[in-house]
Amino acid sequence: MTTVIAIDDKICTGCQECTKVCPNLAIEGLPHQAQKVDETKCVMCGQCVQKCKSYVSVAEHGFGAYETVRKERGLPETVTEPLFAAHNVCHLDEVLRALADPNVETWVQSAPAVRVGIAEDFGASLGTLGAGKLAAALRRLGFNKVYDTNFAADVTIMEEGSELIHRVTNKGLLPMFTSCCPGWVRYLELNYPELRHHLSTCKSPQQMQGALMKTYGAKTQKTDPKKIYSVSIMPCTCKQYESGRPEMADSGQRDVDVVLTTRELAYLIKLKGIDFLSLPDEKFDLPMGDYTGAAEIFGVTGGVMEAALRTGYELITGQAIPAIDIKAVRGPDGFRTAAIQVGELTLKVGIVTGLKNVKPVLEDLKAGKLDLHFIEVMTCPEGCVTGGGQPKLVLDTDFQAAYEARAEATYQHDRELPVRKSHENPSVKKLYDSFLKKPLGEESHKLLHTTYCGDPKHHH
Amino acid sequence: MANDFGLFVTTDTTKCTGCRACEMACFQSHNAKRNKVGKTVGTITVPVTPKLYVTVIETASMPIQCKHCENSPCKAVCKQSAIVRFGHQVIVDETKCIGCKDCLVACPFGAITLLPYYDKGKPVKQVGSDENKVAASKCDLCIDDPDGPACVRVCPNEALSVSDVNEDRKKKNIAAAEALAVINAGAPERRLLP
Repeated sequence: MTTVIAIDDKICTGCQECTKVCPNLAIEGLPHQAQKVDETKCVMCGQCVQKCKSYVSVAEHGFGAYETVRKERGLPETVTEPLFAAHNVCHLDEVLRALADPNVETWVQSAPAVRVGIAEDFGASLGTLGAGKLAAALRRLGFNKVYDTNFAADVTIMEEGSELIHRVTNKGLLPMFTSCCPGWVRYLELNYPELRHHLSTCKSPQQMQGALMKTYGAKTQKTDPKKIYSVSIMPCTCKQYESGRPEMADSGQRDVDVVLTTRELAYLIKLKGIDFLSLPDEKFDLPMGDYTGAAEIFGVTGGVMEAALRTGYELITGQAIPAIDIKAVRGPDGFRTAAIQVGELTLKVGIVTGLKNVKPVLEDLKAGKLDLHFIEVMTCPEGCVTGGGQPKLVLDTDFQAAYEARAEATYQHDRELPVRKSHENPSVKKLYDSFLKKPLGEESHKLLHTTYCGDPKHHH
Repeated sequence: MANDFGLFVTTDTTKCTGCRACEMACFQSHNAKRNKVGKTVGTITVPVTPKLYVTVIETASMPIQCKHCENSPCKAVCKQSAIVRFGHQVIVDETKCIGCKDCLVACPFGAITLLPYYDKGKPVKQVGSDENKVAASKCDLCIDDPDGPACVRVCPNEALSVSDVNEDRKKKNIAAAEALAVINAGAPERRLLP
């Protein structure tokens, strides 16, 4: 398995603060000695990367140490920020090679949480919404197509919502768990493999987008899929691992070629000398950059649930949901439940955020004490806006303010978008009309769904 | 309440884990204006130059920081008058520092070192040279910050506190007096005295 998260033993002070945030006890070592990541247990969420304050220091490691470590990690010269012991492996050099190659078509997608984080690394206030500037920056970096993971988030709702309705009406296995979060999927495979059929068969939005770009996208843009180099910008350190899973090659090749985190995209923008905050607001490319407010809220805990309810309500009852803002599923609590009346059906839902909170829920499920239809699980403290690849706070004491500002920017973006329900996305409708035909159809099953192998030790 | 001695930050070593969050907070607090260090790591364009130094030994860890000595040897040896007393605190004026290291030699705790000195995101140059300047860096008790030392506020384990040893001594005096008063009152030799 390729290393995703590592702790540099030359820099680690052995404070073990990271062990307090690791959701799967994957960090080993004695106090005051360097810690080590047990890669067979690590779910690659990157919360240790966010937590670590043990940096390469002039006083401790000498004047030349910073440059040595920067080079070891393959980071460009323009990176000036402190380098910490806990870090994720950076793939920026691969993206630079692809961007420089005239024979390669570079297509990019960005996750919802990226646009409420990226501006922070250019000095903007916490949670500044930068969707338009993000699209503009990616275009100036030379990506041939600036698409968006949010398009696939809308597709996810079509598929996952239909799957839930199918399971509920056909006495299928319940509760159904969301499968958007690769850290959560890996945690389940490692610790509760017997429960993995509770996972939705849907791929994550990143992987749906990846599979669609090299099939539907290649077809509509009349591009040879073999020439497409597919790049994801994610708030997540685990997405790199997800993109390399053997299941994730249904387009006939690897669906997503490489992943950069939000922070690494900021490195790239700075490397190219682009003044992010001065960029004009631009749109993502059509058709696969078209998105709704429902897709955008995937970035916050409870968002996938809310998006699914907005569409599911209408699919089941044939009527629009009375109140589109479903406050009952929002909020920062680690585990919360709600009963939502959908026509005749009382849909019982649960939301888990912060992977440490999932264990009691899974134990209840095993003990037959869990009476829910649908459960959203996100690994990071408050969903993807607090992901391991998001801009890292200098002070932990700013965490709460950052979460609240990023979540509020996400909901603000949702409120301001002209379309706020996934099934009303005109480009998604067109995708189904012209290519997929229907949710859970033959083509969807081939490209957008998977059966997780269950034994992550076999992954490369 | 006026204190007669310089205050300083002390560490409860049973709580300190050695995480260096105090160093990051110290650096941010002193460079937010001068070098535009913002809320996220990505806004940092200059080397991290704290004014306290986390030290890890086999059995413990703690930040070593200036005790604001009353008979400050660093101030005494500084020939540039770059180390001054401000109120009761001992403060370095980095603009005057020539990097002679006399204060490093003089400080018995190693609470001072020479670090790169940046202004407006650029290295400050040595006088009459293209080479980058270094300056003595040690705790100034966040003298410009009305909220007090940043390290104390940010410590995830609440291991740091501002210590007013004179006030603490008076409290200890009172506690000792109270204890001794009871003992003395009950002591037999006292009762036998005329």
